[in-house]
Amino acid sequence: MSEASLSDNKMSATCSLSEELRALLPQTKEDFKLDFNEKVEKSVVVLLHQARELFYEGKKNECLKTSEIIRDYSWEKLNTGTWRDVDKEWRRVYSYGCLLKALCMCLKIDDIAEAIRVCDMGLLMGASILGNILVKVVNVLQKHLQHRKRPSETGIEELSKKKTKSNRTLTPAVKLGTAVPQLQCPSLEFFRKNYLVPQKPVILEGIANHWPCMKKWSLDYIQEIAGCRTVPVELGSKYTDEEWSQSLMTVSEFISKYIVNKENDIGYLAQHQLFDQIPELKQDICIPDYCCLGNGEEEDITINAWFGPAGTISPLHQDPQQNFLAQVLGRKYIQLYSPEESESLYPHETQLLHNTSQVDAENPNLIKFPKFTKASYQSCILNPGQILFIPVKYWHYVRALDISFSVSFWWS
Amino acid sequence: MGAPQRPGWFGFGFRGFGQALGSERGLRSSLHGPEPLVLEDIQEGDPAKAQAAVTDVCQVRPSWSFTGFLTRDWRLVLSGSVNGQLSGCRDALASEQHVLVLRMEVEGTPAEVQAWAAASELQGEPLWTWKILRQGDWEKDSGSGDQAGGHGGSPLDPALLPLVPEPGWYVSPRQPFSQPLAPELKARQLVLGAEHALLLGGMGQVYTWGTGRLGQLGHGALEAELEPRQVEALQGLAMAQVAAGGWHSLCVSEAGDLYIWGWNESGQLALPSRAIAEREKTVAGGDGELYTWGWGKYGQLGHKDTASLDQPQRVDYFTDNLLHVEAVICGPWNTYVYAVEGKN
Repeated sequence: MSEASLSDNKMSATCSLSEELRALLPQTKEDFKLDFNEKVEKSVVVLLHQARELFYEGKKNECLKTSEIIRDYSWEKLNTGTWRDVDKEWRRVYSYGCLLKALCMCLKIDDIAEAIRVCDMGLLMGASILGNILVKVVNVLQKHLQHRKRPSETGIEELSKKKTKSNRTLTPAVKLGTAVPQLQCPSLEFFRKNYLVPQKPVILEGIANHWPCMKKWSLDYIQEIAGCRTVPVELGSKYTDEEWSQSLMTVSEFISKYIVNKENDIGYLAQHQLFDQIPELKQDICIPDYCCLGNGEEEDITINAWFGPAGTISPLHQDPQQNFLAQVLGRKYIQLYSPEESESLYPHETQLLHNTSQVDAENPNLIKFPKFTKASYQSCILNPGQILFIPVKYWHYVRALDISFSVSFWWS
Repeated sequence: MGAPQRPGWFGFGFRGFGQALGSERGLRSSLHGPEPLVLEDIQEGDPAKAQAAVTDVCQVRPSWSFTGFLTRDWRLVLSGSVNGQLSGCRDALASEQHVLVLRMEVEGTPAEVQAWAAASELQGEPLWTWKILRQGDWEKDSGSGDQAGGHGGSPLDPALLPLVPEPGWYVSPRQPFSQPLAPELKARQLVLGAEHALLLGGMGQVYTWGTGRLGQLGHGALEAELEPRQVEALQGLAMAQVAAGGWHSLCVSEAGDLYIWGWNESGQLALPSRAIAEREKTVAGGDGELYTWGWGKYGQLGHKDTASLDQPQRVDYFTDNLLHVEAVICGPWNTYVYAVEGKN
């Protein structure tokens, strides 16, 4: 192909991208709703209206400048006070800023990854606007993104197999008498009567093993579907450590820095609602039927992804909802303590960590925490295809034995 | 370079709402390098009078979308997303929602603190008024300007607010407008950040309180403090001045050493990022040179670009134009500088 026609192709690719994106938006600017409550300062509302005006008039460069101001100012609001207290309206403003910026960026092929990153920031830190339009925008952008080389030529799978082998020596033994019972496809009633009501942990087999993720998911597949997407990653061995922090990076970066090459600290893509961000992955999992035994609606079930290298640790803690933990890739070693044992587990006294034990479950300081030896527990190694039922407020400790991907379902 | 600039106020950075910053009114694109400030007198469109209005600017109180200017004839002039004027204002504090003024309409009468809705454009009535019964020291001392008719004040005068002549209180441009303050602290200076406050005590000690999640309180942890707590890390050092950005804190010792702590997302702490030890920082050196560092996206560092810096860099505009910087006011995204003719 000649140089001229190559750039023509690029031009037409850009045009069709612009058209596809434009088609996602309301036809007229009047339908592009900008409703905010009094929490959003009038000067910001003025800017949003200006930005909308500029966009629908096709003045992309000016719209881009205005949307940057909107993003920067609302970003400061998002960083004021505790996250809990940040008004949802400011998160919506931030999302509008991200949306308009992504739409106005000169969408040369090189800019598409950046536009996806901007949309992801809106998805991670903002709140849903215009019928969750950011997810649709990313979908279109991703289709137009050229595939980049995979981080390791030898194939990520080879490296992950190597790492799996070397870790087998660290596999803990499940102490006799502590094993969590396993059931093959129990009926709803059987599960309810014998485990849900009495609040006892159990491993369910034959339920998740047929989910598409069990066959489809691999490091290569995740890289392909989600490589360019920005996700929050926890850095540091445990969230109770002083050095612990969170960082944002693409899934590609995460895989190459923390899973394939383990020169760095532990990095853990933990407790993230990945399936809201990337609906394509949601199609590979299913909501366990047993969730219908609860009181809540299906849309209230929180689904989290837990993806990381061998060695990630979730310190002993309890959660305020029932949990089905489905294992997809790799194995996890898990210890479980009943809420009745809480006194022997020395929960932290601070508000922030009162649901977390001070004791390192696999290496307890028995001089500092003498009652811990009295606490009775159950343990297991959770394998791919299995689901562990963790009753509400049941204390649990989790360590990944291999490169691991788990999906948790929090329900009530 | 051109001819040396006249002394007076200069501005650079963000002016997306048309607030007076540089020389041309109406422009909204950010100024990346200093320009002489032109503030038109709203009442008269006469250019000669407009120039006079600029030299009369005594103090600058910037918020994000507008700036408040205090003139030598005790007027507060708002410019930007909101406009308007108010007479008899000795000092002011601005936030996006409210403007707080220390008002003394007639010389010799008791002062009042008034809180106005920014949107009111200083018309009508204030939202809240508080009559100060005590006479402040500043009423006796009329600054370095003319003595006649209550005119006076200079850009070098220290800010009065948020402290008030009434002991036991301070005021804020965010509700609640008045807040208790322990008189034992003998506050010499008080400054407000986005979520925290710093106080310089009678013996040069530094106290902080408010939210601390970004390390801006300087107590070594991220817990909030409801009451002023002394910064122990600075114990034994006598501080001369304190300042606050949105989420970081600064103080200067009597010996001239600068201490900074808080949010370092844009290099505000002048350490390469990776630390928690208004996102932009500036300092006027003893010899009239201005150094800026921190977040530079809107040109608020004045280096003719939009780069952020984690090391202080001199703003050459002033040295190039033989100007001696005497005062700096940092707005959230812009900077106002007062400079006089330098000594060669």
